[in-house]
Amino acid sequence: MISVTAPVVETINLRKIYMLGKVPVEALRGVNLKVEKGDFLAILGPSGSGKSTLLNMIGALDKPTDGKMFIEGVDIFTLNDNQLANLRRRIGFVFQFFNLISRFTARENVELSMSIAGMSKVERRKRTEDLLETVGLKDRMRHKPTELSGGEQQRVAIARALANNPSFLLMDEPTGNIDSKTAAEIFGLIKRLNEEKGVTIIMVTHDQRLVSETKRTVHMLDGLFVEENVN
Amino acid sequence: MKALDIFSYSISSIKLRKLRAGLTTLGVVIGIAAIVALLSLSQGFQGSIAAQVQKGFATNTVIVSTIDLGSNQGGSPQATGSDLKLFVNDTQTIDQIGNVTMSVAVIQKSVYLKVGNKTLAVSIVGVDFDKYAEIYSSTFVAESGSIPSSPQNETVVIGKRVNDPWENGTLFSNVNDQAEIIWSTRSGFALKNESYTGVVAAVLKEVGGFSFGGTADSTVYVPLLQAQSFFGSDECNAIIVQLESDSEATIESFTEAIKEAFGDQVSVISSTAVLDTVSSLFSTIEIFLTGIAGISLLVAGIGIMNIMIVSLMERTREIGILKALGMKGRTVLLIFLGEAMIIGLMGAAIGIASGWGLANVFSMVGFSGMGLNLRGTGLTITPSLTPTVFFGAFAFGLLVSVVFALYPAWRASKLKPVEALRYE
Repeated sequence: MISVTAPVVETINLRKIYMLGKVPVEALRGVNLKVEKGDFLAILGPSGSGKSTLLNMIGALDKPTDGKMFIEGVDIFTLNDNQLANLRRRIGFVFQFFNLISRFTARENVELSMSIAGMSKVERRKRTEDLLETVGLKDRMRHKPTELSGGEQQRVAIARALANNPSFLLMDEPTGNIDSKTAAEIFGLIKRLNEEKGVTIIMVTHDQRLVSETKRTVHMLDGLFVEENVN
Repeated sequence: MKALDIFSYSISSIKLRKLRAGLTTLGVVIGIAAIVALLSLSQGFQGSIAAQVQKGFATNTVIVSTIDLGSNQGGSPQATGSDLKLFVNDTQTIDQIGNVTMSVAVIQKSVYLKVGNKTLAVSIVGVDFDKYAEIYSSTFVAESGSIPSSPQNETVVIGKRVNDPWENGTLFSNVNDQAEIIWSTRSGFALKNESYTGVVAAVLKEVGGFSFGGTADSTVYVPLLQAQSFFGSDECNAIIVQLESDSEATIESFTEAIKEAFGDQVSVISSTAVLDTVSSLFSTIEIFLTGIAGISLLVAGIGIMNIMIVSLMERTREIGILKALGMKGRTVLLIFLGEAMIIGLMGAAIGIASGWGLANVFSMVGFSGMGLNLRGTGLTITPSLTPTVFFGAFAFGLLVSVVFALYPAWRASKLKPVEALRYE
């Protein structure tokens, strides 16, 4: 997909060093990445290769040590904490362990991200129902996470991630904690979001079977991209 | 995030741990209830004493005596340590001072009163009935019989508690009874009983409360001249002076004139001075009581802080999620402060209500239970909850809750999203 606007995500020689006790660990050693609107990117690599660290950087949850990073053309090094918080509202997170708030129902969990963004109650009620319908959970919206299966919880999480019309979805092994049959369904949903609604997706995964289904795949090893495939 | 959404988020967090929030609130309730109960009782007590002082002591009258109430130091009454004695005819000196409308000498002694075969310990006061009735026109009033014009021989006027000392209708003495007044004098080593018999001419209506120079219920009144003759002395205990006005300037210039006439040997007590002494005494007591009650509120505050820190640990991951969803640090801070504020508000509201209830229960049953018998003094304590105490307690409860939540709330707001999300 060709876009005239700035890439959704662009990193130039991105580096991250963090301290493990007193030992500095170089988690990212110069990552160059460009994600355009409508892209569907899978990041693969063994544990400790720096996938999650990269995801945290792109998600503005953590600051890189060195290099450049732009999200929707904005240099994240220029942002303060409040501006970073505002930026995160434009990013839809989906975690491996769902990270739903257990005392809230499915609907309340989805609504929460809209209420954080300051949307009015009436508006977010309506949108929540639409979103839960999109992920196929409209009839379960009054249930709490403990009353939902893993697959259902991940659907709620995806609905929550989509709540504020994010510029892209950031998924950290979204099917890593779900049985393979349900995982296929969830993946089908993710793929549909990309193909039918044009949602940009960046996904970290272990699952080799999913790789051929995405538009683009990068392989990471020891904090670097070692291989890139375009399907 | 909208204020209402922040508030409802705080409520949902409190609801999650109802028992814990309840116990934390209880801490605030106890502290606030203690403060409200103690202050409203003490203010009620002060109010009733002030009312009694004003009742038994008209504001434009002052008492000249050799007793120093220590009104400026807030100390206890004590003799000035002088040998000076006041005499009945000192009223002539005092009457010449400007602004004085009238002065009455008072001779007072503790005696026994015998009527029939019953005896009662009373206080006897010798005064000029006419002048006394003029100064204390609202209290020196007969309920039955009539107060004779002085000087009239062998008549006495008795207070309500001499008429009906046990407040049960069993009368000790009544109008037209023969009353024998018995007192002791000392000659050498031997104590000699003297007595004087008079006829009860009138029973005064009930005054109630304490009396500072004014009409009292447990007193027998006799004409001044008779008191002088049967006590065999012109010495008087005090001179009650009625001034033209109750303004501070009048009282002050009179005091100056008295000092000039008698030196520093006598003191002038005005009801305003007595009230000042009482109220300064009470403010000291109130500060002390509030301090004690404040300690319990402080403990409650530490409880809130403790609970908030535990809650912070438990909810670290939740805070990580909220931040990943784009919540600002400031909003996280407000959610935590909101929780503390709700606890503080509930605690203050319940605390004020139960403190008020407690004060009322105490005022009804508490004092006899505490061995403090106010019966007979006619003094009842009506707890008084002033707006200052009400809003002060509210603000204090809220303030303590929020102040102690500041640190945990600040820590929550400063959590780094990545670390918070990784927290197990």
